[in-house]
Amino acid sequence: MTILPFPSFLDDVKEKGFKKAVFEGIDDSVERLTAGLNVQDLREAFRGETASRRPNPRLTPHADGFWLHMRPSYFNRDVTGMYPTFRLGWLSSYFVFFETITGILLMLWYTPSPEIAYGDMLTILSNVPLGQLMRDMHRLGAEFMVAVVAMHMMRTWITGSYKKPRQFTWFTGLLLLVITGFLSFSGYLLPWDQLSLWAVTIGASMAEATPVVGEQVNLLLRGAPELGANGLLRFYLLHVLALPALLFVFFGVHYYKVVIHGHSLPPQKENIGEDTAKRVPLDKRVYFIPDMLTYEMMWLGATTFIITVLCIWFYHAPLENHADPQVTPLGTTAPWYFLWIQGALKLGDKFFWGVAFPTIALGGLALLPYLDVTPSRRYAHRRFMLTIASLLISVTTILSYMGLAKFAVQTSAETEIVHELTFEPAHSKVGIGRTIPFDQMIVGAYSTAQLHYADDMAASDALAAINAEVSANGQFDQMIQELKDQHVGANQLPLRFRAIPAAEAPTLMRVMEEFAHHLEAEPKELPNVWGALVITDNQGSLKRLDWIVSWDSVLIEGGEVQTDEAGDPILVYSDQVDAAGNPIPVRRIFSDHLFIHEASAYFD
Amino acid sequence: MNLLFIRTIEGRILAGITMFVGMMILVGWVAINEEARMQAFVQQHTGRSIERGAELFASLCSECHGEEGYGAGDRAPGLNNPHLFGYDPVGLQTAAVTNANRALVRLNKSVDGLLAELTDSEEPPSEERQNEIVAAIADLEAQIEEQNMAIAGTVAERIAILESLDTAVNNGLFPLWDTVVDIEQTGDNEIEVFFNTNGTRLAQVGWAGDLQGYIVTTLIHGRPGSARVYPNSTGMAAWSQTAGGPLRQDQIEDLAAYILNWDKGAGWTTEDFIAVAQYGKPLADGSLPSEPPPPPAGDNVEGILQRWQAEEVIGSAVSGELLYDQEFGCTDCHRDGASAPDTIGTAARIRDERLTLPQFADYTLEQYLVESITRPGDYVVDGYSSGLMPVNFGARMTDQQLADIVAFLLTQ
Repeated sequence: MTILPFPSFLDDVKEKGFKKAVFEGIDDSVERLTAGLNVQDLREAFRGETASRRPNPRLTPHADGFWLHMRPSYFNRDVTGMYPTFRLGWLSSYFVFFETITGILLMLWYTPSPEIAYGDMLTILSNVPLGQLMRDMHRLGAEFMVAVVAMHMMRTWITGSYKKPRQFTWFTGLLLLVITGFLSFSGYLLPWDQLSLWAVTIGASMAEATPVVGEQVNLLLRGAPELGANGLLRFYLLHVLALPALLFVFFGVHYYKVVIHGHSLPPQKENIGEDTAKRVPLDKRVYFIPDMLTYEMMWLGATTFIITVLCIWFYHAPLENHADPQVTPLGTTAPWYFLWIQGALKLGDKFFWGVAFPTIALGGLALLPYLDVTPSRRYAHRRFMLTIASLLISVTTILSYMGLAKFAVQTSAETEIVHELTFEPAHSKVGIGRTIPFDQMIVGAYSTAQLHYADDMAASDALAAINAEVSANGQFDQMIQELKDQHVGANQLPLRFRAIPAAEAPTLMRVMEEFAHHLEAEPKELPNVWGALVITDNQGSLKRLDWIVSWDSVLIEGGEVQTDEAGDPILVYSDQVDAAGNPIPVRRIFSDHLFIHEASAYFD
Repeated sequence: MNLLFIRTIEGRILAGITMFVGMMILVGWVAINEEARMQAFVQQHTGRSIERGAELFASLCSECHGEEGYGAGDRAPGLNNPHLFGYDPVGLQTAAVTNANRALVRLNKSVDGLLAELTDSEEPPSEERQNEIVAAIADLEAQIEEQNMAIAGTVAERIAILESLDTAVNNGLFPLWDTVVDIEQTGDNEIEVFFNTNGTRLAQVGWAGDLQGYIVTTLIHGRPGSARVYPNSTGMAAWSQTAGGPLRQDQIEDLAAYILNWDKGAGWTTEDFIAVAQYGKPLADGSLPSEPPPPPAGDNVEGILQRWQAEEVIGSAVSGELLYDQEFGCTDCHRDGASAPDTIGTAARIRDERLTLPQFADYTLEQYLVESITRPGDYVVDGYSSGLMPVNFGARMTDQQLADIVAFLLTQ
């Protein structure tokens, strides 16, 4: 007898011997943990053998265990392949958990306050081991999740799986799609950089167009007329609390419906109007343990491995400059999954295209299973709905393209060109002007005009001609005045253009060629144009690059360049005349500048 | 795609384990390199912070502190300035002299010891020893001579450097010039004495913290006193949003990073001192800003009007218009009658409406205008809020400027 008031392990040892007692103890624990499978059962399962005990212990975890009671104990062989599910539902669920885990880790270093948030991002990147990897994974996972959920919806449409009895499953799925979009969108703001502030400002301003309540909704969302401390806190709480809570609720409902109705079979596998998903013949059963379990464990490893590889070598979450409500960056767009609304907005009325149209579209989707009540799921019988599906995909793609900044947004050519050359790193791209290595930024003024001279002309002769020309017609002085206005030091002002040092600075040469190439592409808007790059020393480790565009002013009406019969642009003339008595066109100049520090390493 | 559907269980288990292990190896590999990556990130980020600071400096600060940070004449101190960074131009020479002096003390001590031994009456050294001592003393004397020569050379070098700094001092390198002038009376080399007590800007202003703290604090809160040292300064404003200015904290830090990036450490030269252009720098035409600026008009209306009469101050409407529109920005508010009375029709309005009021019975037009500008709170026209107009225009304008503005307003 033991001294303890209940039978203990020691009693077992006494009774059966040490070895046997230990084995039985382990066996017992394993069976409790797996809710029904002992070591021998597991061994058999993972060796692919049939279960030696009856009743089949592999079904017990589904009946007795909490976690597996949510999963079906067997699947129909017809739905376990790539087709018809493409694993998109599984992947969506994967990303829900993946995002939760990486998100919680990121929360440890994040404070939702405009004063600190951006600094926190820098801390995550500069002072948290694996911080960058975590952020990249969370961000990439979010983008994937939106894409996967949307594709999951399209797949369901195409295979007709929304049909009776799965109408409500479809509806909850649509809710999950909307929640996913908003989850991703609300997370966009949190880094509090220029990218996030302006993408969200654009996104949130769409809500403003709603009649009557628009302004209130907008105010509720942003906490103030402009995004600020309150807005950030609200988006943060939406992102980490409200939306995830909703997501988990509807995720539960959605999956419960999936299990209760069974995974819909490929359309051709069942008779028209029948739903045989729950009636799986014995020879078609693929048991969760061990087959689906090992599949899912393998996919878990594979997906995470792929994301890790992507985040190490191919993707880094963008982080631009600190958010600044005063500075609107050129070419701001909403996040890609809202681009279709932004594109639609360019079609006209803000209310109709920004609010009514998306609402109608989503409403139509929600009602889809109740509108399309034809019994057949066969592709051949659903030509109309499949056409609508491909139309939907095409229209969304086209609208998204229209949402891009380059579509139908009027920016003057010179601004566009200089921006193209100098934009700050975003989405793994950077203006080529920033990629000139520090030692190739040789102080001097360089003109694209040099590149237009014939090859057989010596560079020095070409330059002499250019310098003589621009100093005679006052264009050089105009440039110097512009530089002065832009606070270039008096001792730093260039005296004349220098030859581009192609041998010592090949990248500089390439950038100048690119600059010239862009300028040439706009003969209508920028006639008789030349561009210049003026490089000056600012501090020992800091250079200043001034980009200048000088051209003859053209007549522009309603955003369009006016041309004469020959198709040449009509110039605007000043009241002065040259030596020959011809009027002189008004010369316009544009400049922008950037500073580049030796350690900034845009060129790596 | 079939890869995802490995048909055997052991194949799936093997593939899964391989993927997990591969992922762990990758993450481990990343973790090992994190230290270097984070360091690189910090460097890169500092670089970009300096770039943004440069942009802010060019647009906000260069007007007064100079595009290249050398200061702009009589408006603000140079920041690209060895003095700010605590560079001592004669540090090397001072150290050399100190070391040589120490060596001298040592040598003299040795000589004294030998002499004492030589002249010891109780225990006179042997003849041989005496000769030895005499030889040793001669050797030491030669060394002392050598050291003295070295010191003289270094001192001359030092004087040359300090003299070369005269230009810089004349250019107003040290804003508190009166301190230097005081020292001049004592007959020492005033620059050297100045360096001993005011070696760095921080010591000069009695700042206990480090340079970054000094710069950041000045950026956030602005600073008083600038107007005294720099007569044409509008004062260092408070730039931080926390102090009512326009800049966020990260922008303040960017600016500080940019200013600190001027530091050349040991690389500063006396040329850098001379490049600094602060108060007293010869103007473009070569002359020095001679007289102190004329005193402000103040807010004693009677006194102003009397001085105008006594000194025959005649206002010019043309310069008055410039001052009104630009220098003092009056048109910012006085333009459409919304927040302040419209500029147009001023004279007629005063003559026909204000001066008919009992309290202005014996006022002249000039008197009314001078009072309105220098003491705006005394009377506020019905319909406008009091306290909107700054009360310090009297302190900011000279008699002449005030007279110009009044002359301009009388034409309106």
